[in-house]
Amino acid sequence: MIPLLLSLGLGLALVFLLYTLVRRSHVPVEGSAYQLVEARGSLHALQRELLPRDFIDRLFDRHDLEYVHNELPADIQRLFLEERKRISLLWVQRIRSEILNLMHFHRGHSRFHSKISVLTEIRLAADFTVLLVICRMLEAIFYFRGPYAAPRLVYSVAATAARLCTVSEQSLAFLNTPGLRTVNGGSRRGSATI
Amino acid sequence: MTSIPKRSDVVAAAEDLRRRTLIHLPLALERMIYLASTRDYNSGLYHHEGLASRYSAEAACEGLADCHHESFRELLAASLEDLVRQLQAYADSTDTLASNFVTTWQELEPYRAAVPVGTDPLAAQFVFSNLKVALAVFASRLAPPPGAPPA
Repeated sequence: MIPLLLSLGLGLALVFLLYTLVRRSHVPVEGSAYQLVEARGSLHALQRELLPRDFIDRLFDRHDLEYVHNELPADIQRLFLEERKRISLLWVQRIRSEILNLMHFHRGHSRFHSKISVLTEIRLAADFTVLLVICRMLEAIFYFRGPYAAPRLVYSVAATAARLCTVSEQSLAFLNTPGLRTVNGGSRRGSATI
Repeated sequence: MTSIPKRSDVVAAAEDLRRRTLIHLPLALERMIYLASTRDYNSGLYHHEGLASRYSAEAACEGLADCHHESFRELLAASLEDLVRQLQAYADSTDTLASNFVTTWQELEPYRAAVPVGTDPLAAQFVFSNLKVALAVFASRLAPPPGAPPA
């Protein structure tokens, strides 16, 4: 009975592996282009908007908290903490969503565009997974204990995300042509060029 | 307005604007509101007669857009305390009764329409959130202290 179950289990695992491989080899062409542009957009948002040190310093600046605590009435303290918590949650959720985009790009396409060794791919997969888990943890901390509860974790998330951005940037380097910059959201839509 | 202006013209137009006009607006909040007011609501393009006649309509438009982004970045970097100060100074400069100013801004939230196009949604939300708190601080300073006799 046991050998039969083992054989069945092995058979099912092989079928699943085969299914996964078949799915990966049929990435639609238009889907690929869309994912490339989306990955480029995510990279841009992370590097220019979500991860710059001065933005993170500003968002989690304790001087604002001290100012509110020392000089303002209780209802404004409450309003400030609610607002800062809301923005902190938006920040970590955006990071998670942009990192997910980059992960999908790496999983499906990066092997076609850059020479990444198996070891690097495994390390990258581990980094993506750890970062996504930490983002969820940080989200829970912000939700239950407020935006100032885990400053070290905030900077740790930012550092790991920045490292993954550097790797993704290398994989997407072939898209860095002047003509494509306007596609990825890097252009200023308020300027005269539209 | 379809031609792409030379970058040097855009830089010169922006510098001209900073030197002649924006220098008289010391607060980033004032500059952002002023620059947003030069933008057409329908096309999203900026217009400035003086700059357009000296450079070109396109260069003026991009120069104004650059300065608008710059003022938004400054506002994004401002601390809450600084933002409260800027808001009070701006309210003083409008010749509107402070209590009316606060009520109008809390109801209409005009700053939401003053953000440059292409701004990251999170950065915009952060500035809106800070302005909301700053307005509450400003309002609390206008309110009479508890127990004070009515005016």
